[in-house]
Amino acid sequence: MRTQLPLTSYAKGHLAGTRAAAAPLRLRAEEILSSGGDVVLNFRGVEATQSFIDELIGYLILSQGPSVLERIVFRHCSENLRAIIEYVAADRCDQYLKRPTHH
Amino acid sequence: MAITIILPKYFSATSAGNAVRVCKKILDAEEDITLDASNLVYADPLGITLLGAALHDAFSWNLRVRISGLGEDVGGYLQRMDVFHGVDFVKCEPVKKRRRNRGDSLVELTRVDEVSDVDETAHRLAVAIVGRFPGIDPDEPPDEMSGYTVFDRLVEPIQYSLCELLENALTHARRGSHGSAFVWVAGQYYRSSKIVRLGVTDNGCGFLASLKGHPELRRKRHLDAILTALKPRVSCNRDLGIHDDSVNQGVGLTTVMRIAKHTGGRAVILSGNALHDTDGRSGSTPAGSIWQGVAVALEFRRDQLARTNFRELLPLVEGIPRIPLRFE
Ligand SMILES: Nc1ncnc2c1ncn2[C@@H]1O[C@H](COP(=O)(O)OP(=O)(O)OP(=O)(O)O)[C@@H](O)[C@H]1O
Ligand SMILES: [Mg+2]
Repeated sequence: MRTQLPLTSYAKGHLAGTRAAAAPLRLRAEEILSSGGDVVLNFRGVEATQSFIDELIGYLILSQGPSVLERIVFRHCSENLRAIIEYVAADRCDQYLKRPTHH
Repeated sequence: MAITIILPKYFSATSAGNAVRVCKKILDAEEDITLDASNLVYADPLGITLLGAALHDAFSWNLRVRISGLGEDVGGYLQRMDVFHGVDFVKCEPVKKRRRNRGDSLVELTRVDEVSDVDETAHRLAVAIVGRFPGIDPDEPPDEMSGYTVFDRLVEPIQYSLCELLENALTHARRGSHGSAFVWVAGQYYRSSKIVRLGVTDNGCGFLASLKGHPELRRKRHLDAILTALKPRVSCNRDLGIHDDSVNQGVGLTTVMRIAKHTGGRAVILSGNALHDTDGRSGSTPAGSIWQGVAVALEFRRDQLARTNFRELLPLVEGIPRIPLRFE
């Protein structure tokens, strides 16, 4: 099962900005993931800050491990957004894997 | 009894040390204050936010504040920026210019109290600033490929920067005994130089208190704390604790500084007794003058704003294998 989450309602204008705004979206994503579904994040018409993306997926990588990324789809990302998502994913996977206790 | 505090000629990022010196006098005042503005000729958004934060403190102690000798030009400007709310005017030249309508009043001094207000405020302020750019039509049809207008592209980096700075101020700055810290923001577009200037000032714990336990901060001094905070991946809260529900990446401030630089602009950061200017002038504020909190001045060149490219801006993650991601 894939559940689509549109980002537009988390943005002001075209930008999803604060961690505070990302946290409820992450909770929704966590619910879907814990019931065995995949999450499709639909970014059509939306850009985001690195903090917003980190609160959303950086947090999930640190709490569940890099394999969580296999169950998240990023749809309709602009070039800038793609760069931010790739950066956050790389940095947090690296941090997770370097933790002494990640197993 | 009242004490008289003389405002300097310039209350701005380029003479931030002087602005902090005067604000410290306002913060230390124990009796009513008369601000002598006869020398004042210019204030910018950083100066305005510093003054706004200092006056807020004076009012919270129920001190009366008067201002005298304010010239017409700078006086009219500061009144439109809402800096002197609650201040009594004595011996000031009458201001003839009419107030602007509310439509563009949002670049005025604004205090933000709650994180939940940050997104809305950052968007409104960025739209108000870009709305002043001549020749930009917010209602033009969007680009077919991206779905964005030129207006949207100009708003984004300003809104982005404000979100990061305001959220920092309403989270990190509130640690320890600074739980009730606030943040003030102001902005302006300067038509002749085509520059956007923003000021974001909080009265919280400051960089040093926030990062004092961080291993990267070797010398416990304000300037070292500012420079450490500017390094990518330095944060007071980079890892999830067992019961933690908050985490940071340590990249927000770094990115904001890079956005400003990328447009050909600059940034000035004040905290404690230290001042860092991306144009190279870093060091101490004048003896005895301390800003309890963080104040940031940002400058963006309008012509370069819409070209913000995050792949070039974000810090490098060296030696890390590319993570397969599912883009559709
Ligand atoms: N206004 C502030 N007051 C006090 N400390 C601050 C303030 N802004 C930033 N800091 C300190 O500087 C550090 C770096 O800030 P930066 O925005 O780069 O990263 P972050 O906020 O920790 O992470 P992210 O921006 O990715 O959420 C913060 O972790 C905090 O210790
Ligand atoms: Mg931050």
